[in-house]
Amino acid sequence: MIACQSFRANLQSREPEVLEHLRKCDACLDFAVRKDPDLFFRAIGGEELVPPGGIDAFAADVMAQVRLRQAEGSVARRFLVPPRRLAAAAALIVAVGISALVYDGGRRTVAVRPVSVATFKPLTTKPVVETYQSPNATIVEVPSEGKGEAQVVMIFDDSLPADL
Amino acid sequence: MAAELRLMIPTNESVEPDDRQLVRTIRNGDAEAFEQLVRRKTSKVFSLCYRIIGNAEDAKDISQLVFLKLWENIDKYDPAYAFDTWLYRMVTNVAIDFMRNKQSRENAVNSNLRLVKTSSDAEQGVIVQRKEIDNVFNVVSSVLSPKQKAIFIMREMDDLASAEIARILGCRESTVRNHLFNARKLMQQQLKKRFPEYSRLWEERA
Repeated sequence: MIACQSFRANLQSREPEVLEHLRKCDACLDFAVRKDPDLFFRAIGGEELVPPGGIDAFAADVMAQVRLRQAEGSVARRFLVPPRRLAAAAALIVAVGISALVYDGGRRTVAVRPVSVATFKPLTTKPVVETYQSPNATIVEVPSEGKGEAQVVMIFDDSLPADL
Repeated sequence: MAAELRLMIPTNESVEPDDRQLVRTIRNGDAEAFEQLVRRKTSKVFSLCYRIIGNAEDAKDISQLVFLKLWENIDKYDPAYAFDTWLYRMVTNVAIDFMRNKQSRENAVNSNLRLVKTSSDAEQGVIVQRKEIDNVFNVVSSVLSPKQKAIFIMREMDDLASAEIARILGCRESTVRNHLFNARKLMQQQLKKRFPEYSRLWEERA
């Protein structure tokens, strides 16, 4: 620490050794404040304070919270999708949506064909009746118009199954 | 020749990583390096928080919050600037926010309860008591805005230059000087009102 005389000769200086003297020497503090009251509050600076409980306890508290946040972060990372993945997923969904719309649009232009196919299908699954014998049946045969035409036969019988 | 060379090799004891090196290690996920940084900066951070907030328990909580923010935002630190500037910016932001939210009526009422000394006391000479200055500052600075108070503390107690304070707060140096001027003026008014024995020091100078 500099001597009191040096300090009193350099009151306005903000050199560290001058400030140190102001903050440690009570006699010079009183002298300095009377010369320049702005030094009044400057006198309480410089000192580094320690939190209640000390630095070790403080650092331990901070590190405990850091570890807690690290643990929370790793759990969150496991369950939450990162933004890049989220963006990729969103892009995929949009792409699928657009292609579905395009596909749907394409289907609409040829909408007649699938409908006709749909009506044929049940018929093809029905069994073709080639012979039928029943004592109570009335069979009406519709005469065909040409050789390639289908033969239409109507069977009227109360005992005939409904889904035949 | 070999002996000379050996002298130039630094020993392990002398190699203490500086702030930037520590930050680099922390960015690689080294929690121990962060603990080292916490220990190194605790007094600095706590002192500034305590002087701005004026309460040790709150200052401790705010200091912890500062370090947690530091941990979470360590990637945002630009090594082109001094680490302490960045740290001080974080401290002042968090402490000023806290003060703005907290400036409770209770504190204001308590600070008004201090008995004003009679004029006859003030007439007598006063010996400046170092222990008393802390209390005087806590009372008198309660009229300052959190930002004014932070600037005054950084300038007068932490001995930072106006240019450095401007860098910390992200404002112009002239703004810092304006805040300082207004802070001194307000504090002198408060001194006159609540501590006439000390305010006489300023009056005598005038």
